[in-house]
Amino acid sequence: MKCPARSNFAFRKGLAGLALLCVLPWCALPWAKAAELHVPAIVEAGQAFSILVEGSGQATFYLLGPDHVVKRSVSLGRDLQIQSSDVRTAGRYQLILCDLASSCTSATSEVRAAQPAHLSFFLHPSRVPVSTRDSIDATAFVFDQYFNLVLTPSAVDFRITPASGAGFSRRVSTQKGVAWMRMDSTAHEGRVQVTVVSGNVEEARVIQQIAAEACGLRMKAVANGNMVALETDPVRDCSGNALPDGTVVSFTKIDKAGKSTVDTPIKKGIARVQFSVHGRAQISVACGVVLGNEVTLNGKL
Amino acid sequence: MKSMADMTLALKRISSGLVKPGFVKPGFVKAGFVKAASFLIAACVLGSAQSSPPIHLPQVHLDAGELSPRPIEELTGTTIARHYALAWHDLAEALESGRAEGLEEFVGFAKDRLMRRISEQKPAGVHVQIVDHGHHLKAVFYSTDGTAMQLLDQAQLEIQTFDGNKLLDTQNALHEYIVLMTTGTDRWYIRDLEEVSAKPF
Repeated sequence: MKCPARSNFAFRKGLAGLALLCVLPWCALPWAKAAELHVPAIVEAGQAFSILVEGSGQATFYLLGPDHVVKRSVSLGRDLQIQSSDVRTAGRYQLILCDLASSCTSATSEVRAAQPAHLSFFLHPSRVPVSTRDSIDATAFVFDQYFNLVLTPSAVDFRITPASGAGFSRRVSTQKGVAWMRMDSTAHEGRVQVTVVSGNVEEARVIQQIAAEACGLRMKAVANGNMVALETDPVRDCSGNALPDGTVVSFTKIDKAGKSTVDTPIKKGIARVQFSVHGRAQISVACGVVLGNEVTLNGKL
Repeated sequence: MKSMADMTLALKRISSGLVKPGFVKPGFVKAGFVKAASFLIAACVLGSAQSSPPIHLPQVHLDAGELSPRPIEELTGTTIARHYALAWHDLAEALESGRAEGLEEFVGFAKDRLMRRISEQKPAGVHVQIVDHGHHLKAVFYSTDGTAMQLLDQAQLEIQTFDGNKLLDTQNALHEYIVLMTTGTDRWYIRDLEEVSAKPF
């Protein structure tokens, strides 16, 4: 038979044990429960921020960004400071917190580009004939001060300043950080400056407009014995721009001796050549894809 | 829309000899511009025959149907898809091994940032494993001079983050990237790679 006192003691001991079993998890909760991270979903590049980390004790914090990794010990229950230098690059950042029980919790933040601060500008081509449709392309990429592409739509102005005549401007909105426009070249040769402006940032490029194809190409011939001197009128395009010196003009002669072609560069706006002629001769002139007049020689012009 | 088979054949023309024999049949790809184009680099096995082990590339599907202001040439489409697949292969390998030497498909900001990330992973003891379930690339801008292309990438990635041997985090999610690729001497390079919130195309 059991002693009632001993039985009572055992009962009490059992109760105490049971109570301890029930209480222990609650006492251990701050240590066993993974610390929670409350992070901002979106952060502007280069902006410091803080994260409230719940719990108590020590933990290891990890920040993994596109170009940066941070690992440091932190005290739970305090604000965790993220420096501006930790979040300069736009993209997705992974934040992980592991407590001493090796329980980890993670969250992600998206860092977005700050205000436009740099423009990457391409103007194509570097030389273009005058009065040519859709011949000039301008493309601008908008970056912030940390060279993150600014994906928020923003207005970009393309200001065109020709060497002569009035300038003009086109406004384009960026799409995913890119703004582009296409335009015709103007009617006069010379340099054209295109400046792209976004906020208070601007970037300029220059292209050279050159004369287009020759227009109304004509030559005259002066015979001297069996020699003939050929000379073009000043070679110009249809807008009256002189074709640059060095542009090749081709003279082709067909006579008894056969066919011969002489390519000669324009000098001071005019191309000249001299042929020996045998009998009846037919001479033509061309510049690029443009054919000029023809002359026929048969002892006389 | 081109079929998967057609586009895989286009790959063969580019990588002539690099593709594992039997993976594709002889090509019949027409040159020229393709306004509404779709290109696929399947989970290819590339390798320079004897010298190096075969490379398993992630699947890259390029959709160039809404591209402006310039249409894409078929050869360019397959080249871009191939180099993008190679880039992701290199990136995953570099993040896991902590070695940045293999990042040959990256230039400019993209390369600088990746190299910095990898160099900072080492002292922290952190490395990342990426299981790449494929990329859906959508080309949105192709400069008229043919030197730059902007693309959106939706990639299904399983990313595991480790500190030493300890697994810190696992995520299997859709990731979206804005990509800027530019031409180089012999290939298309990734000049900018920026992750943004994933939204359906």
